Amino acid sequence: MLGYILRRILTMIPTLLVISMLVFVIIQLPPGDYLESHIAELQSQGESVDEKKIQFLREQYGLDKPLLHQYWYWLTGMLQGDFGYSFEYDLPVTEVVGDRLFLTIIISIATILFTWIVAFPIGIYSATHQYSWGDYGLSTLGFLGLATPNFLLALVMLYFANVYFGTSIGGLMDPQYIDAPWSMDKMVSILEHLWIPVIVIGTAGTAGMIRRLRANLLDELQKQYVVTGHAKGLPPGKLLVKYPLRVALNFFVADIGNLLPTVISGAEIVAVVMSLPTTGPILLSSLQSQDMYLAGSFLMFLAVLTVFGVLVSDIALALLDPRVRLGESASK
Amino acid sequence: MKTLFKGLLLILSLSITTMVQAMDWLKETPSLVELVESGKLPPIDKRIPDDVQVARLTPGQVPGEHGGELRLLMGKQKDIRQIVIYGYARLVGYTPELNLEADILKSVDVIENRIFTLHLRKGHKWSDGHPFTSEDFRYYWEDIANNPELSKGGPSKLLITDGELPRVEYPDKYTVRYSWSNPNPFFLPALAGARPLYIYKPAHYLRQFHARYQSKEKLARMIEEFGRRNWMGVHVNHDRPYKATNPDLPTLQPWVNTTYPPSERFIFKRNPYYHRVDQKGRQLPYIDSIAINIASNKLVPAKTGANESDLQARYLRMDNYTFLKLASKRNNFDVRLWQTAKGAHIALYPNLNTNDKVYRELMQDVRFRRALSLAIHRREINQVVYFGLVQESNNAVLEECPLYKPDYQTAWIEYDQEKAGELLDELGLKERDSRGVRLLSDGRPLEILIQTAGESTEQTDVLELIHDSWLKAGIKLYSIPSTREVFRNRVFSGDAMMSIWSGIENAIPTAENSPHELAPTSKYQYQWPKWGSYYESSGQSGEAPDMPAVQKLIALNDQWVRASTHEQRESIWHQILEIHRDQMFTIGIVNHVPHPVVVNNHLHNVPETGFYDITPGAYFGIYKPDTFWFDEARR
Repeated sequence: MLGYILRRILTMIPTLLVISMLVFVIIQLPPGDYLESHIAELQSQGESVDEKKIQFLREQYGLDKPLLHQYWYWLTGMLQGDFGYSFEYDLPVTEVVGDRLFLTIIISIATILFTWIVAFPIGIYSATHQYSWGDYGLSTLGFLGLATPNFLLALVMLYFANVYFGTSIGGLMDPQYIDAPWSMDKMVSILEHLWIPVIVIGTAGTAGMIRRLRANLLDELQKQYVVTGHAKGLPPGKLLVKYPLRVALNFFVADIGNLLPTVISGAEIVAVVMSLPTTGPILLSSLQSQDMYLAGSFLMFLAVLTVFGVLVSDIALALLDPRVRLGESASK
Repeated sequence: MKTLFKGLLLILSLSITTMVQAMDWLKETPSLVELVESGKLPPIDKRIPDDVQVARLTPGQVPGEHGGELRLLMGKQKDIRQIVIYGYARLVGYTPELNLEADILKSVDVIENRIFTLHLRKGHKWSDGHPFTSEDFRYYWEDIANNPELSKGGPSKLLITDGELPRVEYPDKYTVRYSWSNPNPFFLPALAGARPLYIYKPAHYLRQFHARYQSKEKLARMIEEFGRRNWMGVHVNHDRPYKATNPDLPTLQPWVNTTYPPSERFIFKRNPYYHRVDQKGRQLPYIDSIAINIASNKLVPAKTGANESDLQARYLRMDNYTFLKLASKRNNFDVRLWQTAKGAHIALYPNLNTNDKVYRELMQDVRFRRALSLAIHRREINQVVYFGLVQESNNAVLEECPLYKPDYQTAWIEYDQEKAGELLDELGLKERDSRGVRLLSDGRPLEILIQTAGESTEQTDVLELIHDSWLKAGIKLYSIPSTREVFRNRVFSGDAMMSIWSGIENAIPTAENSPHELAPTSKYQYQWPKWGSYYESSGQSGEAPDMPAVQKLIALNDQWVRASTHEQRESIWHQILEIHRDQMFTIGIVNHVPHPVVVNNHLHNVPETGFYDITPGAYFGIYKPDTFWFDEARR
């Protein structure tokens, strides 16, 4: 097992190296660089641009250097914990992302909890009561959730929350609490705003999870050991939770790998629409303005999390399910 | 000759009468009383300059009361520079009538547009209380503009006439003189710009980042601390008066940023050393602080409708008007319609430098451009896209401009298929293919690709309508959306045949404003990017213009720079405008598109109507937002 983990970690190095190259190249693919899109933006608003100043900035930002040099500078910097400099914000990348990470994690965790709390009982119910009115009703609701575009739902809910509850539109707290020290009132204000993004981001995930849990559980419920259990008179609750549900949870553990990066990136589109102070909008705008070190470092961070998440879920799966564990040692 | 010279010796005094009365007429600002009493801040008579400027209210504005917080919405963190634009404290600034007058300066003496003597206000202080003197101008000129490391290419080109740098002198603490041997008509307008040329910097603060004044060890530590490559990076990063990202940078603006980025909410507080007072002795600005909330720009209209902004025009568009009007009943605000000062809201730019030889010849033929214009049904566009609320017009100066003549706007804009057809026939485009599209001399169909920056559906709608009417004249139109950068590169390189963009930025110029926008002086002029580039780079890149009318424009533009009297400048302007009227270098569609401005009902002194434009109005700037005030209900 230890050797396996070690090998997995070693293969991560070339994987991440390739990802870093891809990320860098893709960010550079659109024509021009940050300063050009900056000039374009200023001029479209009728503001004057001093070419000499731009030249100076180009040198300061190192944009006059060849691409390979820029890549090397970025890569070696990252290894030393320096993620580069955000041109757009005029700050080191870590400072730009730092503040927002915490709120992003709050939203993501709340969303994940919401998804689980809603999806588990419904998934189990509709699997055990297959083709009942309840199953149909809940499935319809689930599909509705899956099919409604997130951003549309977000706008509709924002409008009603504002008109009926007087919640300020967008954002994660009332304006006066931004940058204020943490207090009870601030927490309350955050909770007031939090439920909308949580529901909006959560609906699609919830619906998906209900469907998967139902399908996996149905597979198990058909199996002979369940029939045997029934025949032997095991209480229905125990029979459900102890065996089929555990087996049906494999997909769920395997999903943890994908969960880690989403916790950090925080549903970009919804965050942009609702103007949440999370990392999503930063990522999007940095890609638009070709703020390459911010975008690059962010994507790299997500890549690292994904790679680690996959490893974690593989290990967890092996620990949870003897079939995975034994299957591996049997093949040796 | 001598008398003529004397006649030219025009001394222009821009000073406003400043009342120096007994100091007991001054009233302390309520929100600062506590700081003054505890001794943290000097009393008002010690804070304001000795020759304080008494704000002149425009008709309809009344003296107000102190207090309150102005809430604004912005789309990005970078937008906080709007406060520097709105604040609009400049060395000299435009009045709402678009005259220049001294503002931060007490007065300016101008001799022949080439010797400028700037008189500072005695006792004027930076927002940190340090005196503002000619040393701050010297620091800019000697240590920034002429420092080979900080300004590699030398001072801004606005300070150079005929390749000559100004002579800058500092006769005493409160006097600065810029002189050239030839006129520099760009100097004062540059100082008055929404994004001004800063020829003064807070020397006492910036010295600590400058290699000339700071020890090597300390600089090395700062370079490390701020993550920059060299000391220039550190200096530039702390010296951004326009971006307002550094709360420590002293300023002369009415409000001072107090929030370090990154943040979602920026608070600007009143500058206790601001140089303006009202007639009743209250120091401006009236409003204590400005709170800017950053929200995604698509949400700004919705948030404004939900009463989350007290003064909003940015990110609002004409198509939000009905929604805002509805919400205004619920939420106690007023929606006003301001004018925009653009020559055309939407204009077509035939690329006279396009690479395709056949099309280039067509584009350069005035008959073709006139035919294109005649084949556009502007009335229909106005009715369909703009509810008939805008004005069908060429890309020309507006009625409000002193240089306006009706035919500048109306030449060649009537919808006349017959005349258009005649002109096209004259050009030898008689043959048509099965679709009815005319054929070029080499047999290809006459298909015009119009590049768009892909940002507004409005442009696409307009192009759709133009497509239909052009097709009747035998011209097929395709619109090619892309992104702004791609769009520009296609225009610059000549790949673009035609493009669509807005018209002249400042369509309410006076004869004193430079006509450079109307002559090929920049590659960002989409009708002649290569000629503009040629001028901009002094012949290093681009192509020399070969059209006589365009050469005439360049000559006129140069003459304007050298002109010494108002009459000369005015006559040059009219010659330029006439060339544009006849030549149709750009094809304007509509102008006078109103811009919604949302004003809280408790906010006073915001004009009912005005111009919402960055040049020359600095958006709200020329209406002096430091005189806007909240009534009791909101303080």
